Amino acid sequence: MKAFEIQTYQDGKWRINSIFDDRELALFEARRVDESSRYSAVRVIEELFDETSSKTSTKTIFRGGRAADPRTAREPDAKKKTAVKRTARGAANRSGARRPGVRRPPAQKKTSMAGPVVLLLLVIVLGGAAMFGLQYFEALR
Amino acid sequence: MEKAPEDVMREVVGDDLPKGMERRLVHRLLAYWRGLQIDDEFPSFAAIDPGEIPDIWSNTFVLEVVGNESDPVFRAFGDDIAAHYETSLIDRHVSEVPDNSLVSVSVGYLDEVLKKGVPISRGGDFQKDDGTEVLYRSILLPMSDDGETISGILGAANCREVEPE
Repeated sequence: MKAFEIQTYQDGKWRINSIFDDRELALFEARRVDESSRYSAVRVIEELFDETSSKTSTKTIFRGGRAADPRTAREPDAKKKTAVKRTARGAANRSGARRPGVRRPPAQKKTSMAGPVVLLLLVIVLGGAAMFGLQYFEALR
Repeated sequence: MEKAPEDVMREVVGDDLPKGMERRLVHRLLAYWRGLQIDDEFPSFAAIDPGEIPDIWSNTFVLEVVGNESDPVFRAFGDDIAAHYETSLIDRHVSEVPDNSLVSVSVGYLDEVLKKGVPISRGGDFQKDDGTEVLYRSILLPMSDDGETISGILGAANCREVEPE
């Protein structure tokens, strides 16, 4: 089974814009979205689901806007050639109570520990340097 | 512009709408839906003016989701869609739509639209009870009263019978 996913680049991440089962429709729509200049980048991902192996393979068949920019293209492309196993139950999950109306799927937020760790190290180093300096000047007196 | 990776194929897409009335319906309605969007939020039913899309309005239908999340209810049908049924489907649930009919196949991926919150278009074929083969194309568009929560679906579909060989 094939699906063509138009994705747009917004706020530092790719988001699904619309989904088609027809290549020509998807490409035409992607071009129109691209020409609207509403998004910084547009691409079309072709997904091929192999029912015998339950694996999905993907490839990019269209890039528009700044999709070719390494800064915007690198991260999303990292998973381009990965095959994802899907179960039939997961793919067609029709159960589950919803709240009134259906909320838009939230965008995933990634948190990084690098900032706090660097800050902590900086405080330790500066603290150590200050203590060393005080002891040094004390010894000079 | 950076050179595209080897597995990327570039295709030239013409200026005209894709051939076939089925595809034109999808593009026309999707373009109209996008035009109603404000800041990428879901458009409101209140913003729709059927007079702006008179050529495709008869192929549309409206589903109410709020209060019927597990089995939405049909609230409106365009004349061309309604003509496919002997009795009205208005106020009927999705689960009540006769199988092997234009509307039943057109809402077959409704859960995916509600889950992903994006427009989806599918097409294919089905066989009517009398054995007639029918080709169809459809699109489902999420609508909202507050821009964030899907409160309904604007759908459209058309079809043509395949001449027996």
